[in-house]
Amino acid sequence: MVNKGLLGDLIARPVSSIRLKEDDSTSTPSEEKEAGQGQMGGKKRQNAGGRGEVSLKILRQNLLFPEIKEKTSLQEIVKEVLDGNALLLADGVQTGLIIGAKFLPVRTVSEPPADVAVKGPREGFIEDFKTNATLLRKRLKSPALRIDTLRAGKRSDTVIGLCYLDGICNPDLREALQKKIEHIDVDILPDSSYVTALIAPRKHSIFKSVGTTEKPDVFAAKLAEGRVGVLVDGSPIALTLPYSLNEDFQSGEDYFVSPFMATIFRLLRVVAVLFSLFLPAFYVSTQLFKMQLLPLGLTLTIAKGGQELPFSPSMETFVVLLIFETLREASIRMPKYVGTSLSIVGALVLGEAAVSAGFLSTPTIIIVALSGIGLYTAPNFVETGSILRWLYLIVAGSLGPFGLILAAAFTLYYLISADSFGMPPLAPFAPLVKHDLKDGIVKYGMEQLDERPNIYRPQNKTRLRTRQKGERRDQRL
Amino acid sequence: MIKDYKLPAVNTRQLCFLIAFLFPIARFLEAPRLLASAAKGDLLIPALLSLLLQGASIAAFLFLSYKTDKTLFQLIENALGKWVAKAVYFLLTAYYLFAAVLPLLDLEKFSYAAFFDTAPTTFSFAPFFLLSAFLCTKNFKAVGRSADLCLFLFLLPFAGILLMSIGSGDFSSLLPVFSEPFKSSLKAVAVTKPHFADGALLLPLLGSYKYEKGAAKKAGVAFAVSVLFTLLFLAFFYSVYTTLSPREHYAFAKIAQYFPALAVVGRIDLILVYLLSIVYLFYACLPLQLAVDCFCKAVNLEKKGLYSAVLHIGLFVFVLFFNSRYDAVYALYSQYLYPLFFLFADLLPLLFPLLLIKKKTKAGTK
Repeated sequence: MVNKGLLGDLIARPVSSIRLKEDDSTSTPSEEKEAGQGQMGGKKRQNAGGRGEVSLKILRQNLLFPEIKEKTSLQEIVKEVLDGNALLLADGVQTGLIIGAKFLPVRTVSEPPADVAVKGPREGFIEDFKTNATLLRKRLKSPALRIDTLRAGKRSDTVIGLCYLDGICNPDLREALQKKIEHIDVDILPDSSYVTALIAPRKHSIFKSVGTTEKPDVFAAKLAEGRVGVLVDGSPIALTLPYSLNEDFQSGEDYFVSPFMATIFRLLRVVAVLFSLFLPAFYVSTQLFKMQLLPLGLTLTIAKGGQELPFSPSMETFVVLLIFETLREASIRMPKYVGTSLSIVGALVLGEAAVSAGFLSTPTIIIVALSGIGLYTAPNFVETGSILRWLYLIVAGSLGPFGLILAAAFTLYYLISADSFGMPPLAPFAPLVKHDLKDGIVKYGMEQLDERPNIYRPQNKTRLRTRQKGERRDQRL
Repeated sequence: MIKDYKLPAVNTRQLCFLIAFLFPIARFLEAPRLLASAAKGDLLIPALLSLLLQGASIAAFLFLSYKTDKTLFQLIENALGKWVAKAVYFLLTAYYLFAAVLPLLDLEKFSYAAFFDTAPTTFSFAPFFLLSAFLCTKNFKAVGRSADLCLFLFLLPFAGILLMSIGSGDFSSLLPVFSEPFKSSLKAVAVTKPHFADGALLLPLLGSYKYEKGAAKKAGVAFAVSVLFTLLFLAFFYSVYTTLSPREHYAFAKIAQYFPALAVVGRIDLILVYLLSIVYLFYACLPLQLAVDCFCKAVNLEKKGLYSAVLHIGLFVFVLFFNSRYDAVYALYSQYLYPLFFLFADLLPLLFPLLLIKKKTKAGTK
């Protein structure tokens, strides 16, 4: 865990040279006296130090390593050593010197696989806290950026960085979050998802209450909006709070393309996700309870295809969705090359064979495939969307469209009544925050986004100043 | 937690949305048929009269919220004492339960007509009580936010339905105005009173809504929009069904089905109807939410869950029993019990400002 080369060059070699000097009696008596007086409780011993012993001051003067901390408490020293730092103890000196020569194996900064952008920065967070903090600092070169270091996990003693922009972020939110993190009492914290689970206000909700990102540019932008971020050592996934459902339909790329294109992308994502949530359920409910919803021609085609099927439409859709989810799960876990062939076997061979054998109908496979693809337009919503899709399917299969509408109403009401860190997940739509609709589904140009979103109640609202006082919009340029 | 937040549970915008987008939905199900059966082509006149009465109670609510920040309970308690306040709250609980019955039965029958090709059992409607029981445990902040949602859920489907039905309407059937005797319009007002009794739904929001500058104007505009939506729908309804109107139950679900393109793409109008149904679900739950709230305040209950559960089990049993007596219940409400709606929805909101006068006299101010 320690960089031995650095220790040798910057610590061992200078220390050995001190010894040589001391052997030559080069240290002056005044230096020895000073060093002896500087240590609490160590006076006697250090004053008693004679030839062959070294003082703290001399050590500090001679060591070339840039990161050296003095520690006297055994507990703190143990903590630092367990963290991977080196400890230098000298005979006659009661203070331990912690050498920050930690050398942990980390992977290189690369594009996060779950958050790929065609345009815009491609850096992603990694598992190392310091690297992540550096990536953030690289983007926010402001003294207002604060990274408060907290620790949690009895055995893992994981570093958690509470990141915010002082003077922008709402202090109430930061304090509340800090308290929550300080109250975490858990054995180990291997990933930020543990922090999410432990600080979430609604523990049993299928909806997220904390936003996540793997990209430093997105993280920095969210902090600049007035949110609080959390970096957890050992996790490439950073957390942002408060969270709004709207975030899942936004992508970092939206800010690097024209606002028209960004709006189209967002609309597409919303429509695709709605389709993927409701399409299987809608199909089942039309087949079982309300055939009028489909045009007659389509109804006849579906009826013709489904005449000899062994399953009811609800059971059939349920089975296909189950196969889809199984394939998805397997293709993620499998090695890459096997995963690709598995997808082909699953999608083409299995689907085709099931239809030919008369187990499943083609429309059901098309609908589930469409639904499956659609959900991936909002990758951060996949977990929640997948559960909702199952729920809606079960409800639609048992109660028809009325059940589906009840379930939708239930979901909506749940979302409007559930606050996460003082923010309703459906904001800025319910409650309607007119100002923040500029970056809702419709994305305005950068010039119109001159103020930070109101929903985070930032201390400083101005984000962009393009006009001088008294200057009219048409006077510019 | 971002502290707040001394913001009111319901703000002016949400109050306006409640008036403009939630309340009109109550008049789309059975009210058009009842109005047409009593007033025929003059159905807009009784609707307008009823809406004006409702406007008065909304104005009274705004006046109360302008004059005081207190809740209705505190207002009554200050003026008449705690026990009277409790008694009034028990009465209001009873009224809201009573007022919830017709929307509930309407919703049940409407769901059978619009959501099923088959003949469903009463148990198909039972999950509504789960939704309603859940809604009843929520506070008025959620009611306000649901009003925000109604903006999106109401406007687009409503516009879509009207656009699809415009081609099949014969608007000349609404003419001449005043073709029926005025007495029939008054009768229509009485018969449809349960559908135009939304004024009372605002009363418990007192205290949760804080009057803001210019709120009266905004609420006035919202009320005008609400009137416009109601009259537009009634006009479309009568123009499409004309003399058949008195027999058309839940016309709202089928008014757009004659749109020619639907033959090619299926009944996509039903998707719009379903979206509007979410708004109706919120509306049907509102009196129950208020009943639970009033009861909990009257008996000083913090947690609403248990009472809400008991209430909804009772309601489900009621629906089970009266499911087949739908016409009888309707007749009872529209022929005998409608004065109660006048009393609670129109008269009571106008009487509450008197409590302010009494309080002032007592305190010796102004």
